[in-house]
Amino acid sequence: MPKHIGIPRAISYYNNYPFYYGFFKSLGIEVILSDKTTAKTINDGSKYVVSDTCLPIKVYVGHVINLLDKGCDAIFVPSLQSTGYKINNCSKVRGLPEIIRNILPQNFTMIEPTLDKTENIDLKNFCKQTANAFDICDEQKIKKAIDEGFKVYNSFMEMTKAGVCYKEALDNAINGKTVKKTIDIVKPISVAIMAHGYNLFDEKISLNLIKKLEKMNVKVYTSLNVSFDEAIKSIDEIGEVQYWANEPELTGTAAYYLLNKKVDGIIALSAFGCGPDSLMADEIYYHCKERRVPFIHITIDEHSGEAGFVTRIEAFIDMLLRKKRNSIIKNADLNKKSVAPVINIKKEKILTTSIK
Amino acid sequence: MNTREKLEKNKMENKIPAKDRIIAWPRMGRIDIPLKALVVSLGAKVIIPPANSNKALEIGVKNSIEGICLPYKLNLANYIQALDKGANTLMMFQAPGSCRLGNYTKMAQKTLKSMGYEFDMVIFDMYQSKMKQTLQAFWHVTHCLNPWKYYKGFSLGFNKFFAIDTAEKLLFYTRPREINKGDAEKCYDKWLKITDETNSVWEAKKLKKKIIEDFKKIPIDKNKEVPVVYLIGEFFVLLDPYTNQNIEKELGEMGVEVQRQIMFSDWLEHVLKPSIFYHRESHRERSVRYAEKYMKRAIGGECIETIGDTVYAAKHGIDGIIHISPFSCMPEIVAQNILPKVSREEDIPVMSLVLDEQTGKAGYITRIEAFIDLVKRKKQKRLKDNVNLLVK
Repeated sequence: MPKHIGIPRAISYYNNYPFYYGFFKSLGIEVILSDKTTAKTINDGSKYVVSDTCLPIKVYVGHVINLLDKGCDAIFVPSLQSTGYKINNCSKVRGLPEIIRNILPQNFTMIEPTLDKTENIDLKNFCKQTANAFDICDEQKIKKAIDEGFKVYNSFMEMTKAGVCYKEALDNAINGKTVKKTIDIVKPISVAIMAHGYNLFDEKISLNLIKKLEKMNVKVYTSLNVSFDEAIKSIDEIGEVQYWANEPELTGTAAYYLLNKKVDGIIALSAFGCGPDSLMADEIYYHCKERRVPFIHITIDEHSGEAGFVTRIEAFIDMLLRKKRNSIIKNADLNKKSVAPVINIKKEKILTTSIK
Repeated sequence: MNTREKLEKNKMENKIPAKDRIIAWPRMGRIDIPLKALVVSLGAKVIIPPANSNKALEIGVKNSIEGICLPYKLNLANYIQALDKGANTLMMFQAPGSCRLGNYTKMAQKTLKSMGYEFDMVIFDMYQSKMKQTLQAFWHVTHCLNPWKYYKGFSLGFNKFFAIDTAEKLLFYTRPREINKGDAEKCYDKWLKITDETNSVWEAKKLKKKIIEDFKKIPIDKNKEVPVVYLIGEFFVLLDPYTNQNIEKELGEMGVEVQRQIMFSDWLEHVLKPSIFYHRESHRERSVRYAEKYMKRAIGGECIETIGDTVYAAKHGIDGIIHISPFSCMPEIVAQNILPKVSREEDIPVMSLVLDEQTGKAGYITRIEAFIDLVKRKKQKRLKDNVNLLVK
């Protein structure tokens, strides 16, 4: 059996890599990562799958090809079927090993553990399947590896929850360090992004959305800033029933920020043809309309023109700014304290006002 | 409260008293005939929305979100049409945990309520369902306590399902072979009407036999060389003639025998009958067995059936496969990705057709014609090779 494993930098990598890293390292297996997503990755992936397949899957296939080109012949392709009773993932994520097995002509070993809590295959079993593929059957060793995995994962989650950005948190968690967020700069506008990790944190797929927003002086909240329990609770409170495995990441995050009124607007980012997203974005749109919170749904595919994308975001942020300015003027009017100067209030001034 | 309890709780609403209920359900092919028989026998009133058409689709598209799949749009349109006609209880059959289907009712409820309709939604959960739950749901709808009525309703319903499926199978067999064009279609329509009007259990039990006898009377050309094509894909699209643009008829008129593996009665029988009464290998079990080489796990929807049927067809001398699915259907996209390999390795021609609300019929027919040409040529070549082998 090989003593190394290739993990494609796509789909579950973005949420679970800290766990995978800790787990494999404890088992003494070397982890090989594929290169970051480029235009070539997407093109390579698109060659093998049918055109209707969504972008993240095309990217995934591209990463597997990248790993094979690097000479890695054991690839980790998990099938995450369900994360709770009747709480399933999208069919394409569930069927990843099925797709990879049948479309790639190359010969390689595929490690394909299944996680299916509807059928009582839990995480422990999932890890056991993975370890068994490397001829490791020692229960004690596997248990230790799981603990080790969670250690890395928890430190990663702790950092991201405190507000450290994704990349920094990941690097530090893997090196066993814990950093604290330095200073929280107050920004005039804040938005929450509801998106799958594999769409949002992949700089090529999301066209660097987070950085773009931060450049516009906007505070960005993502699913990483909300803990799992908070997300589940928010889904409940807003009156929805969890149906998809990714729901805490999308509906949960958006609902959490809708409920505590921390943000000025919500951005939904989804890949073209994404089934679960079409429903979850609609749910949140419905609640946003009720609460009068601005909402934008941006769809991306492999030939997203960057210019059009930026225009839409800029227009959205402009709209948020105008809305905020109007509300400040209105509040000032109500207070009747300083009627004259607020009429002449300028954009720059609002930009420096802090949010309550 | 955990998710399981929440799912159960959301299933049945109870605002309207049982005696005032007027029941409606979404249209899918011919299921309204047997279902109507069942519900009417239990003493409830029903309203059947008009069959799916361009108008229904227009209503559905107008009131649903952009990214949702085609079956939802039609279901929603059926609900709206039925509510406009006076229905107040909506039934839905669903299987949570498979694909977006499990979310249909939740969305439809929200959309219809925001449009100002008042109604009860009753959900029939078909995921690992048992006879008991189904009976409970029917009791909830009708508040009928008479066991004789249940017996009558279920046996009428089941027999009508079997009758319609038999008529359909015979229609597929007869249509490409008939000497006078249109005979089979006429016979089929006639029996649909008779099935709909049948009202006694005794008569319903004899329907199947009568249909077989009647179809035998149609003059057919038995020696005609007819290629056989399997129709596989997504459940709703397969069973609804409007959505699939009547592909069965088009193929029949081109001189091709269509066979469909997904029959509503098979599926219903497997789902509803307690497992001790169900001895045969179900369609799904067979599919899992045949698809083993390509798929190791079921991933929701009809993906594994699609792959299993393709392998089954190749092993049983079928000439070609037409795979149809609605646009952006998640399980069928996985199937589409796997099918080229199955086609190559099992040596069977496969064509995938994706349907959406804008499918133009002309382009669709052209593709089918080209595919059928290929199938016919392949069949002739195979026959020739066989003859050559015999001569040698």
